[in-house]
Amino acid sequence: MIVFSQLSVALQRRFGRQRLRKIILGSIPFLFFITIWHANTVFGWLPPVFVPTIGEVWEAIFFLQEDCPGFGPLIKLDNDCMMTTHILSSLGRVILATVIGLPAGIALGVVAGMSRPISKFLEPVGVFANSISGIAWIPLAIVWFGVGWVTTLFIMLNTIFWLMFFNSMLGVRSIAKVYEDSILTMGGSRWDVVTQVYLPGAMPSIITGMRMSMGFGWRALIAAEMIGGDSGLGFMIFTSAAEFKIEEVFLGVIIMAIIFMGTDKFLLAPLEKWTVERWGLVWKPS
Amino acid sequence: MQSRSKLDRLLWSLQQLMKIDAMNIVILVIVVLLGWSVISDNIENPARYLPSPIAVAFSSVDMLVKGLLPSYFSDTLVRLIIGSAIGLAAGIPFGLLLGLNRTVADMFHPMMNFFQSVSGIAIFPIIVIWYGNSDMTVLIVILYTSFFPIAFNVLSGVREIPLRYINATRTLGASRFQVMKDVLFPGAMPHIATGSRLSIGFAWRAVIAGEMLAGREGLGWMIFTGQDADKTTEIILGMVIIGFTWIVLDHYLLRPMEERTIERWGLVQR
Repeated sequence: MIVFSQLSVALQRRFGRQRLRKIILGSIPFLFFITIWHANTVFGWLPPVFVPTIGEVWEAIFFLQEDCPGFGPLIKLDNDCMMTTHILSSLGRVILATVIGLPAGIALGVVAGMSRPISKFLEPVGVFANSISGIAWIPLAIVWFGVGWVTTLFIMLNTIFWLMFFNSMLGVRSIAKVYEDSILTMGGSRWDVVTQVYLPGAMPSIITGMRMSMGFGWRALIAAEMIGGDSGLGFMIFTSAAEFKIEEVFLGVIIMAIIFMGTDKFLLAPLEKWTVERWGLVWKPS
Repeated sequence: MQSRSKLDRLLWSLQQLMKIDAMNIVILVIVVLLGWSVISDNIENPARYLPSPIAVAFSSVDMLVKGLLPSYFSDTLVRLIIGSAIGLAAGIPFGLLLGLNRTVADMFHPMMNFFQSVSGIAIFPIIVIWYGNSDMTVLIVILYTSFFPIAFNVLSGVREIPLRYINATRTLGASRFQVMKDVLFPGAMPHIATGSRLSIGFAWRAVIAGEMLAGREGLGWMIFTGQDADKTTEIILGMVIIGFTWIVLDHYLLRPMEERTIERWGLVQR
């Protein structure tokens, strides 16, 4: 009993009372869900062809990694290390598309936002491109690039680029002209205006765009991998479903959810909060 | 000097032209169409890689005459409307009910976030194993994609309502139902509006992807088979229609609705 109370005090010190309460409360539905899942295997409400047992899903990890020769081939995306290869190739595409798409979208968006007539002119382009971006491009991308790595990368890039372009353009345009004029009056150069006014002023809008582009881009990427890919998590679950290996499908879905939630919670949400606190709520003259 | 002022005047008149929005769009469309046809004239095998706008227009006439286009279009739209209507009708009360009690709300918040992050297209393979390539599969994927974002948003909206409003109405003798009707529902209204737009946006993408993967007739199926049958004109036609439909839906229906709701119901705290 004393051990328990000491443990609880230590945990409360570590996480804080409110956060500990949230963690414990939040895990209850998950535990309940897992219990129901297990009960299903015990009582057999749904046949195992439709819902695999938890043990099968766990063993699918080792089954997929069975022939993996070691750590070196694992990083080189060896075909025998099925699970890690698919995870890494999905992640690689996300990172590559982000590294190319984010700076390009922001830079072009800021340039387009600098001039009001140009930005007004380009706004319909952004609206239209955003409304077909992602999934609707998949067939055309297959025609252009064939099935494979380039098609999936193209879909992800397309989604990220247009969202970033549109958001940073609108962000720059919403900045009051007073700031720009004051920097110029005080003898700043055009470049100073970009770094001191446009980028900080558009930052909240850019970060929102980033979060949206990850949400939409990740979904588009999974669809692209299913339809026009030859590797990646989407490809893995789609081919597993075709072979009726339901445990691999469940495993893939769970991995995807964990990756997506991890990036959203530990990378994008803090970034957004920090930016809004640091740069947001700029005074706007009416 | 003389030439400079002429140039200025020309620029000024051009700028005046650009101020007119409709003119803007017309110029833009002409520029895009011209660029498109120039590119398609100068590549090898344009019929496969990038057919000219005229070819696309002809194929649309062809499909209209055969009656394929209206039937695909209405198939997709009906799926979207049924799926998202059921999703919203179930998601809003669900979110409100979970938000009734703060402990329950804290309890279910992470789980709803989890299901919201698993995109509908990711669970598509599971649904295919359960129901096969049927209309049911597409409908369930749409339902799933529209249900969780709205439920999650409503739940977060209800959680953000200041406790003192609820306490005040309780003190004045309101019942649980009255609290829900007069405090929680209006308070969550902005989140409901934002969530519906998000839900329908995800659902629209899910319809297209679902039709491609499950092979049910509709716009997504049309562009997918266009790729299989080497009819690039149909792909581009389908993409343009998908783009325009979403613009019309989003800009003339959902966004004004959202803005009006936030103006009317938004809780401004100072």
